[in-house]
Amino acid sequence: MSARVRPLLETDLERVVAIERATFPTPWTRGMFVDELLQGRSRAWFVADSPWGLLGYAGLMEVDGEGHILNLAVRGDARGRGIGAALLEAVFDEALRRELARLTLEVRPSNVAARAMYAAAGFSEEGRRPGYYADSGEDAIVMWTGPLSSEGMQIAMSAVSKRAADIGAVTIERDGSGLEATSSNDVILAIETSCDETAAAVLRGGREVLSSVVASQVDFHARFGGVVPEIASRKHVEAISGVVDEALTLAGIGLRDVTAIAVTYGPGLVGALVVGVAYAKGLALASGLPLVGVNHLEGHLFANVLKEPDIEPPLVALLVSGGHTSLIHVPAWGEYHTLGSTLDDAAGEAFDKVAKALGLGYPGGPAISRLAVDGDAAAIPFPRAMINTADLDFSLSGLKTAVITYIRKEEQAGRELNLPDISASFQAAVIDVQVSKALRAVAETGVSTFLIGGGVSANPALRAALTTAMNARGVRVSVPPFDLCTDNAAMIAAAAHFRLGRGETLGPSAEAIPDLRLG
Amino acid sequence: MRLTLAFDTSTEEVATGLGSISIGGVHLFGEMNLDVPRASLTHLFPAIARLLESADRTIAEVDSVVVGRGPGSFTGVRIGVSAAKGIAQGCGVPLYGVNTLDAVAERFSGRQGLVGVVGDAMRREVYPALYRLSGERIERLTGDAVTAPAVVAAEWAKLREPVLLAGNGLHKYADVFTDRLGEAAMLSPEVLWAPTGESLLMAAWRARARLTLGDGDPQTVLPVYTRLSDAEEAERTHAVPSPASGVAGPPRSGGAR
Repeated sequence: MSARVRPLLETDLERVVAIERATFPTPWTRGMFVDELLQGRSRAWFVADSPWGLLGYAGLMEVDGEGHILNLAVRGDARGRGIGAALLEAVFDEALRRELARLTLEVRPSNVAARAMYAAAGFSEEGRRPGYYADSGEDAIVMWTGPLSSEGMQIAMSAVSKRAADIGAVTIERDGSGLEATSSNDVILAIETSCDETAAAVLRGGREVLSSVVASQVDFHARFGGVVPEIASRKHVEAISGVVDEALTLAGIGLRDVTAIAVTYGPGLVGALVVGVAYAKGLALASGLPLVGVNHLEGHLFANVLKEPDIEPPLVALLVSGGHTSLIHVPAWGEYHTLGSTLDDAAGEAFDKVAKALGLGYPGGPAISRLAVDGDAAAIPFPRAMINTADLDFSLSGLKTAVITYIRKEEQAGRELNLPDISASFQAAVIDVQVSKALRAVAETGVSTFLIGGGVSANPALRAALTTAMNARGVRVSVPPFDLCTDNAAMIAAAAHFRLGRGETLGPSAEAIPDLRLG
Repeated sequence: MRLTLAFDTSTEEVATGLGSISIGGVHLFGEMNLDVPRASLTHLFPAIARLLESADRTIAEVDSVVVGRGPGSFTGVRIGVSAAKGIAQGCGVPLYGVNTLDAVAERFSGRQGLVGVVGDAMRREVYPALYRLSGERIERLTGDAVTAPAVVAAEWAKLREPVLLAGNGLHKYADVFTDRLGEAAMLSPEVLWAPTGESLLMAAWRARARLTLGDGDPQTVLPVYTRLSDAEEAERTHAVPSPASGVAGPPRSGGAR
């Protein structure tokens, strides 16, 4: 059984209260737990979380340099598997960190299992509080450890750690940093509304796509020549309930089978993002499930993991879409360094603008790449901006201007435009620069894995050029399948699986962050 | 007892309420109304959590959700409606929408005469709604609209009857109404210009009695905008003919984007 001990969050409360009610004759109320969370530094609360839900929790109160264990409970079906030891280990850890002298707790005489566990952990019975438990009139046994710095307690505590380690992938964290994702069978329902696609997906174990639904709005935006933010936001509100329903139905599950809700909280159009975030917070509140916030760009990187699960950093990624064109060094998942990015237009934007100048409509990428198939890429020598500069930045507005100028000149000269040749030549100029910079990035960082993400990575010529160039240098290339290049929620769920594994969740006051950065 | 959670984020305020709606009226368990301009996404959920907490209830006990559909700030309305869809769908309970201006009018329940609610529509316009109140009755006399404040004021002045004024549009345009209506203009206290948790529940109770509350399907509850997007307005103004398919440009058949 793999479980993970992490700090208790407000979003855990429903499940904590459920375990509390099932465990104790006079359970704490939700209000008492909320009150605990508001006590600040004098308290430390932990939960044991797992793919099967919350398995237990423990709370420590610091008083005058000593620690009182306020509460410790393990879900009925998870007892006897070291979960209690794992929680106790977290409490000991915290006590040592705070340099507390000793720990104490109260336990019912009738709770034989708990008394045995505490005794094995170095607690001994030092007194009684008569009639302490009001429901049964039972006394409370007061247990104390010896000084935590004593040799006897060191031995007892290492025995607890050993017992905890027996339950498998138990990891303890304090601040959600520095932990690798644990492999698990979590089921994540992810929602994506950052631009003009309303999407929801269900993913099991971080890899298995049970469903992925995308309601594209492109037809509503096409006649305006681009995404209209207000229309996008309105369409999201109309579509979101149905899209989520469909994702659950196609996955053959209900909300009760879900481990966590995930949502894109940036970057993107703010009015579009807030629809997804508000809706997801509502689902999380209603279901008592944790809410995981995902960076849309990290989602594009994780689209590759869905296709090739053994992809591992260190690697370099090229993110190319209507809003982004960047090269990113990924020494480890969760660690992102932008090596270079476009100084003006994003690649997708350049495609759209050139397509507009050619009268091809919106979106421009598919139209140009289709025409380019029949064109001569060497027909027109469009500029390769910054191809020889030592940095890893891009500039695409010069190229766009050159193409538009060329079109005007041809029209003025009364020549008919050769759409395939213009498309192929323009596309080749874009690709040449992308490939050249990508190769430089890979050489500079010394990585042997390269991946692509974002809407423009669906361009077949770009995929082919990058793959050929990288393979020639012995670099492994991952390109997401076409349906995972454009915006979707499966990739958001994949990134959420990673973030959830690190215990990173959003609180109820979380906001959308339209200019959220990667790294 | 049945439990309804109601909230609205269409104005500068986050209004939340918890109560029970029956044939006879509303029993309020609690409400929390916060003045948090442009920060409703931040404050709505903590407010709901505190409200449930202080009423000693859990979200699992809620058996219907009511949300203010606007008109109001487009983004504000969408935050409220989206949150409500998530909660209702997640809890598996019905979702009902009420008009935000109606919820403001509810704050004057029990009074006599005309109540004019003026919501701020930005861009020098307002969302006006006129009501006739008598005893416990509230009758809405006008539909949803967006207009220049001076136009509304002129229409209401024609009625030659006192109008009790409310709504967040008065922060900017109270003068327009008092100038135009003269003695007939009665400004209500500013604390009554926004919906509250209780007034949302009251509006839902009244809509239910009139059978205008809807079927409770979370999918069909949508914001009241009264305006098209700017892009659509511009398109309509310039009357650019669009193809029958509604899609300009060549047909789309997959490929790169």
